[in-house]
Amino acid sequence: MASTTPAPSESAKPFDIVATYNELLRSDPDLTMPIAAIEALVLLLTHSPSSTISETLDLLEKSTAHLKKSIPNPIGLSAGTDLFQRYLITTLQRPGQLGPAGDFNAIRAHLLSNGRLFIRRAKESRDKIAAFGRGFVRDGSTVLTNGGSRVVASLLQKAADDKGGPSAVRFRVIYVLSPAKDSSAEPEGMETVRALRAKGVPVATIPESAVAYSLGKADIVIVGAEGVVENGGIVSRMGTYQIGLLAKAMGKPFYAVAESHKFVRLYPLGQYDLPIEQRVIDFNTEEDITDGHKPQSVAHSSDVVDFTPPHLISALITDSGVLTPSAVSEELIKIWF
Amino acid sequence: MANPVDPAQTSPPSTSPSPAPATQQSTDMSSQQPPSQPPQPSNGASKPAKPPKQPKSKDAPPAAGGAPGEEKLSPAELKKKAKAEKAARRAKERAEREASGGAGAGPGPNAAPPKKGSTGGGAGGKEAPGQPYKSQRHRRGSATQASATEQKKKQEDKNVAVFGHLYGQPRRTTIAGAGKEVHPAVLALGLQMRDYVVCGSSARCVATLLAFKRVIEAYTTPLGTSLSRHLTTHLSHQITYLSTCRPLSISQGNAIRALKLAISSIDPSVPEASAKATLSDFIDNFIREKITVADQVIATSAAEKIQDGDVIVTFAGSSIVKQTLLTAYKQGKKFRVSIIDSRPLFEGKNLARTLANAGLEVQYSLVNGISHAIKDATKVFLGAHAMTSNGRLYSRVGTALVAMSAKERAGGVEVPVIVCCETVKFTDRVALDSIVVNEIADADELVPSQPLKQVTGLPDPADEADTKKGDSKKGGNKAAANAPPAESTPLPEGASPLTNWKETPNLQLLNIMYDVTPAEYVDMVVTEMGSLPPSAVPIVHRMSTNL
Repeated sequence: MASTTPAPSESAKPFDIVATYNELLRSDPDLTMPIAAIEALVLLLTHSPSSTISETLDLLEKSTAHLKKSIPNPIGLSAGTDLFQRYLITTLQRPGQLGPAGDFNAIRAHLLSNGRLFIRRAKESRDKIAAFGRGFVRDGSTVLTNGGSRVVASLLQKAADDKGGPSAVRFRVIYVLSPAKDSSAEPEGMETVRALRAKGVPVATIPESAVAYSLGKADIVIVGAEGVVENGGIVSRMGTYQIGLLAKAMGKPFYAVAESHKFVRLYPLGQYDLPIEQRVIDFNTEEDITDGHKPQSVAHSSDVVDFTPPHLISALITDSGVLTPSAVSEELIKIWF
Repeated sequence: MANPVDPAQTSPPSTSPSPAPATQQSTDMSSQQPPSQPPQPSNGASKPAKPPKQPKSKDAPPAAGGAPGEEKLSPAELKKKAKAEKAARRAKERAEREASGGAGAGPGPNAAPPKKGSTGGGAGGKEAPGQPYKSQRHRRGSATQASATEQKKKQEDKNVAVFGHLYGQPRRTTIAGAGKEVHPAVLALGLQMRDYVVCGSSARCVATLLAFKRVIEAYTTPLGTSLSRHLTTHLSHQITYLSTCRPLSISQGNAIRALKLAISSIDPSVPEASAKATLSDFIDNFIREKITVADQVIATSAAEKIQDGDVIVTFAGSSIVKQTLLTAYKQGKKFRVSIIDSRPLFEGKNLARTLANAGLEVQYSLVNGISHAIKDATKVFLGAHAMTSNGRLYSRVGTALVAMSAKERAGGVEVPVIVCCETVKFTDRVALDSIVVNEIADADELVPSQPLKQVTGLPDPADEADTKKGDSKKGGNKAAANAPPAESTPLPEGASPLTNWKETPNLQLLNIMYDVTPAEYVDMVVTEMGSLPPSAVPIVHRMSTNL
């Protein structure tokens, strides 16, 4: 994903968390941002010779802040780092061998092994979601989806498999593709389209401008999410919000698919209340352009996100079950307290 | 019933509404009391014969006769008994007054039965004409009373029928008659709360806890009982007194519950001094954790939501909203505040002054001007009296109107409505409307010629909104619209037309304190445990009470 040049790391630190994070994302296309962040933090702990709890926590906090600052859109990432930090603190507070009184080396070993276990589990959660979600794809239905979400892809592929291979496929997909940044590259999601077609699922690809037109032919809308926020809304690829609005207007069920580690402790009140700076709307006059200020259309890049409020979402399909948007805060509170 | 109008001024009809509930109550009480008091012996005794029965009940259980028998009564029974006695006394007084008034015997007994019928049947017959009640016509048709009695009844009843169940005991006006157990600090606090000197859910909660701390400090356990057992009942007296001054707020209830739990969990073997120290610490901790620090946390996290260029609309005077706005201002954010206020408490005036003094840009208007005030709003911040378990906001009357105006603003972008509320204000109760649970204040507060009858505190400082106030006076009293203009008694110059509302037939004043804002109008609840959607209120409440 966004490969920003890693900011000059503090001189004392031989381990560059930003580079590690970006490397992890690049090397494993199946990795989500929160998991990559957690994995990077686990690696950081293995590399750093911290010997006390407070030192560990301090290091973690500093690296997290550094990582968040260096990545243009830290929403998905912060879900992972927050979760890891929370996990660490609860583990350390627990009485017993691994508590504050215990041997720190044992604690560290435990943390690292558990951190790896967590990562493995998180990767498995995609299958779990697919198992929960495939029931939503009914025989003879048409699914409208967008973006390049891996969870949605795996859900749809699972549904296609489920129906007994190419001969018995009974659902169709309308795939909303947004044009790629440069015209030479293929649009995001094309891979999923190919995979689905290979399984015999009829797929139609439409541009974003045709969503309203095509929605009449669709039965359900399934989208992925970059982060699920506290009020049950989702932060997702630019364009999801408008699909949500249209689906609501047309009375089509709108499902968001997300792993539960994507739940973020964030409460946006609207599109412009996200903690990231996106220059989507960029006003220019002719004068500005001649002055050398180039109007950049970032709206089509894969980095920009929008916020879909909870009242547009019928349900969230997660690995802890199918939740209503209002149940998200309950899940989050359970994690945090 | 509120301020028993002095006999000179009373025309007979205005006094007679009161005896009805009183006599009713007293009959209820006397019929309830005997069976509960002597359960075994006096089955044969006729119920209404009270005087012959009492000696009987004293004689019958020989083991616990006379005075010791009375001591054995549980506090609940004692309370019931005291109430019954009071009611009886009041009824007697009233009867005397009526007899002296002349019209006496006739309307007295006449008034009681229709009253009973109407309270039993709910709304209906006692509506003022013009109020759109569907059942009214039907009821009237079925009613067999003579039109004369009906007329009388209408004149008598000054309680608004839909809210009839909320008119309980009138608020206490003096400390006379308070129990001797009630601590002076509590006595003073009660009156301060009654006069809105101590006003606002959090302030009342803190003040109550501090007063109780003094009660506990002054408390010594009587011989033959333990602190954990006796202190609770001792506190109950204070609580009862406070609730007669003004009904307790949700936060007070929650705090008292926590305190009682702390008292009952004290080991009886702990020496009194250290037990009292523990309780004092508990109270201090409670105030700090649940209110002081909670407020700081809420203010900081709510202030994050304020951005440069925002126009913040707020209603009345919430202390936590004030803190939030000041915090945001101190962080260097540039925003405007629009305070919407309402009669009769004008809580927003204080807020406006504080914010303006701090340097913020403040606009002050009354709720009548809501549509203008909301036009350029970008966010709405509201305080809370309580949050109910179905996510609804129970707050000063008018809040729902502000929230609705923000959410249903025609043609505009949605304005987020943010509620700042400590978790101590969460309740497991559910509110579907603002009728079932509410508080009714003295309707005289609505009569503008006598603004606020304050016994303590400062006079109203801000006069800059004088003209607006004048406007509102005309429009504010919806109930007045129905009043027939003709009045026999000429009013003095400058007096409000409502001054004699108690004597004006067909006129009822309603001074309701709270309303309920639906959960759909609330976008976010900022608590010390984080920001929540209103649907998460019951979960957080469960967690914060279990901890």
